[in-house]
Amino acid sequence: MTSQHGIMVKSKRGTTTASPKKSANTEITSETLCQGLESSDDDAPEEVTFGDSKNEALRSLKLALDSAKREKELLKEKRRKRQELFQEQKKRKLLPAEVLEEIESASLKKVKESSAAEEDEAEETKSLMKRREKKRAEKHTRNLEGNYTVTTMKGGAAVSFQQKSAEDFLQSRLYGPGRLRTTNNQMLSLQNKRGSQKSAAVQFVKKDWGKLQTQSIKSMFWVFLKCSCGIFLIMENKCEDNYAQNLTSEYFFIQIVLNQTKHAKKE
Amino acid sequence: MGEFVVHRVRFFDYMPSAIRAMAFNGSTQRLAVARGDGAVEILNFADNYFQEKVIPGRSDRAIEALCWVRGRLFSAGLSGEIIEYDLEKLRPRYSMEAYGGPIWTISCNSQETLLGVGCEDGTVKMFEILEEGIQFQRNLDRQKGRIISLSWHPSGAQIAAGMIDMIRIFDAETGHATHRLLVERGVGTTRNTEVVVWSVAFLSNDTVISGDSAGKVQIWDAVTGTLIRSHLITKWDVLGLSVSQVCVRVLVGVCRCHCRVSLIVSVLQDESSMIAGTSEGTVVQFQALASTMGQENNQWVRTRTFKNHTHDVRALVHTDTAVVSGGMDTQLVVRPLLDKVEKNTQESALRKILFPHKSLVCCAKKAGLLLFQFPDHLELWRLGESSAKGQAGDRLPVMKNPEKLLQLQNKGEDHICCSAVSPCGSWVAFSTVSSVRLYKLQLGNGNISIKKVSKLPKELHSVHQLCFSSDSSRLFASSAQASVVIASLDQLQCKHLHTLKPKSGSSQPIHLLSASENGNWLAAAHTDGQIHVFNLHKLKLHCTLPVYSSCPTAIAIHPTTGHLLSAHADQQVSAAAPLLSSESQTVVCSCCASVAADLRVLPEAEGVHGVEPQPAEGGAASSVAAEGHAHHTHRLQPQQAGARLPARRVHVLHHRSESGTRRASRRSVLILFSSPTAVLNSINADKINQILTV
Repeated sequence: MTSQHGIMVKSKRGTTTASPKKSANTEITSETLCQGLESSDDDAPEEVTFGDSKNEALRSLKLALDSAKREKELLKEKRRKRQELFQEQKKRKLLPAEVLEEIESASLKKVKESSAAEEDEAEETKSLMKRREKKRAEKHTRNLEGNYTVTTMKGGAAVSFQQKSAEDFLQSRLYGPGRLRTTNNQMLSLQNKRGSQKSAAVQFVKKDWGKLQTQSIKSMFWVFLKCSCGIFLIMENKCEDNYAQNLTSEYFFIQIVLNQTKHAKKE
Repeated sequence: MGEFVVHRVRFFDYMPSAIRAMAFNGSTQRLAVARGDGAVEILNFADNYFQEKVIPGRSDRAIEALCWVRGRLFSAGLSGEIIEYDLEKLRPRYSMEAYGGPIWTISCNSQETLLGVGCEDGTVKMFEILEEGIQFQRNLDRQKGRIISLSWHPSGAQIAAGMIDMIRIFDAETGHATHRLLVERGVGTTRNTEVVVWSVAFLSNDTVISGDSAGKVQIWDAVTGTLIRSHLITKWDVLGLSVSQVCVRVLVGVCRCHCRVSLIVSVLQDESSMIAGTSEGTVVQFQALASTMGQENNQWVRTRTFKNHTHDVRALVHTDTAVVSGGMDTQLVVRPLLDKVEKNTQESALRKILFPHKSLVCCAKKAGLLLFQFPDHLELWRLGESSAKGQAGDRLPVMKNPEKLLQLQNKGEDHICCSAVSPCGSWVAFSTVSSVRLYKLQLGNGNISIKKVSKLPKELHSVHQLCFSSDSSRLFASSAQASVVIASLDQLQCKHLHTLKPKSGSSQPIHLLSASENGNWLAAAHTDGQIHVFNLHKLKLHCTLPVYSSCPTAIAIHPTTGHLLSAHADQQVSAAAPLLSSESQTVVCSCCASVAADLRVLPEAEGVHGVEPQPAEGGAASSVAAEGHAHHTHRLQPQQAGARLPARRVHVLHHRSESGTRRASRRSVLILFSSPTAVLNSINADKINQILTV
């Protein structure tokens, strides 16, 4: 089959320019069709020697195998390079060997001391001590392959995973998405805006008691009173209304937020 | 006639915490309230809703549910532990790990033998209630979701557990789940989210009532496992349910010859009223009413809606006559049901308990300092000054503003239980359940230096109340067994001097301490109503005031005359005068009186009860009370008509002597009133005298 395709270069049908493989395939199939249609009884098939076709077949096989091999090798190379890269990164991450040794020796010392103290209290013989040490070591530490040990944490984590997930569940059911909740600030401000007596938006003195969002600084001006915490009087007279008359000299906080576009007047 | 300058203080940023759970003990009429910061408060409903005890919280403790078992208080939280509280030492007695993950609910059966606990891992754990603690008994069948709510059947044979998307009914003996009731999800977009059954209630007629996060209150038949009725009361969650249980005293047996009547107290399940609290802040009441007169088919009908809250209502409780609700807006609202109390009486008024009944502000009189107590820190402020003079009622201009001098943060997770500052302003002390800390302050011109006193005497360890003497040389601390520890303060040292113990073995904690100006007397008040007066020179008990039926809320000793004034929870103020020079224990009426002979120290049962005082205008009406004590009632007219003062009458105690002569003596009495707006008013003594003369 292939020999036939390979040899069959000359095609009587047109449009055989340098085309991609697919079109070449379709061309070939169309050609074979045409050939099939075209080949009448009078035309004798072309002579192809057995050896040539055999060689052709072998060559193509070899090519295929070679390409497969090459691909494999390329992949191998890639993998090797990646592995090397990771190892290098790991080496960079790890502390220098001396520090590691120090830490290991210190921890070993600690374990030895604690176990020694416990043994003294228990008054055991040396063989028992060794056995106990091993047992304790087994309870608290496990040696994995390589240079890793796993020990149980003393005291435990402050908030366990289960507690955290329970708290998250509660939080999401009460405050999560889908719950229509608003801040006190927004609610009171809207009440002021929609009420019969329109007045200014509400701003709490303490910033964390209510947040006022998306208001540019230019459209607001703040009035603070000098107070014990040392917040000084800031008055920006961008508006004609002068609120100084309303301010008394007592020492409690007054904070007025005005929206310039609303022309709210405080009476 | 004196002049007073009143400081209006508005820089105390007290932030209360949300109410998370409540439990009512009908036999002692006590309500336990669990707050969001882990604190537990005990309120005495029989005594005008007075907040008797506060067990301070911790920063890592989050309580989800409370339960009373025979006078013992248990709580469970997301930390996975069941905690029993010691109500005399005001601290947790022990905590038992349930090993089921976070605990969502705790409930006790009506026989008070078993405690059921619903855990995150889907198990309902049974604990046996022993004398000294609780012991794990067994698990019921483990389920696949978390158990959010539990309710026992009154017979103790079955348990209903509310989970996510369903309710399971367990048989308490075998532990197997018998029924599974599937709860419908909400309509529309809420179909995608699971519905959480926040609370269940099991009634004695085998019906289960459930409140879920889709806003429905559903009534199920527990025998067949089917839905009877569904009420949609809100668009948001129904967070709590409570079914009424009435305690009824049944009179049994009158013996013919001896005329003795024995009383038996029995609890009848009067399940006629049910309340549901929602996320919107409304509380909806359902009542079991027959649809037609005379017939027995009681159906749950929605009757009233209470809108007393602004935020979610998470805890609900029925008392005999009222409905109590509490939630995220930190208010405790007691709404008496008008079909159980008389209309237009004081009993039928709506009550909102907003502020703590314990004093969180301490004043250093000579230095002009205020100490504010927060759960995790203390703030020390200097009051402002004004040099101008004015007439009565004028607002004076402020020359020097108040200044925050110090913020003292507590290390550790326990919250601060009590705090005090000495009158001269040089010592600050506070205590938690585990430790007491004392600091020495030096206030220079612009500098403040503070030093911690490291070695404190070991007797100072679990302190409920702290008080400094007027000359700042002594520290008084109330500790266990109703005893008072006296420690001396000198430079940077604090040494234990003496421990004062009263004669009677009262184990209730001392919640009020007051030292006199001249340093002779110390008054201590207990939560069971006793007030002891100690003589500080002789270091022993001087006398005990007769026990009044209401708990004292504030006590003070007059600076010059030595009168002891006490304000009580039922809005009465009483004055007593222990004689200064006499050896014996005497109590004298302060306004019209004769000196009496010995006063017997009354045991607790014999309080001073009197006939309900008549509101006589300016006159004195005497009524004979038990054990030879007479009551004089005087109507006290406040000076300003618009002032809101809680105390309206003065009860004056008078011991009837042999001679029976009464001569009017004018003594000056200083009464301090406190109103919820944190304004301290003091009324001049002379003005009172003009009213009190008989």
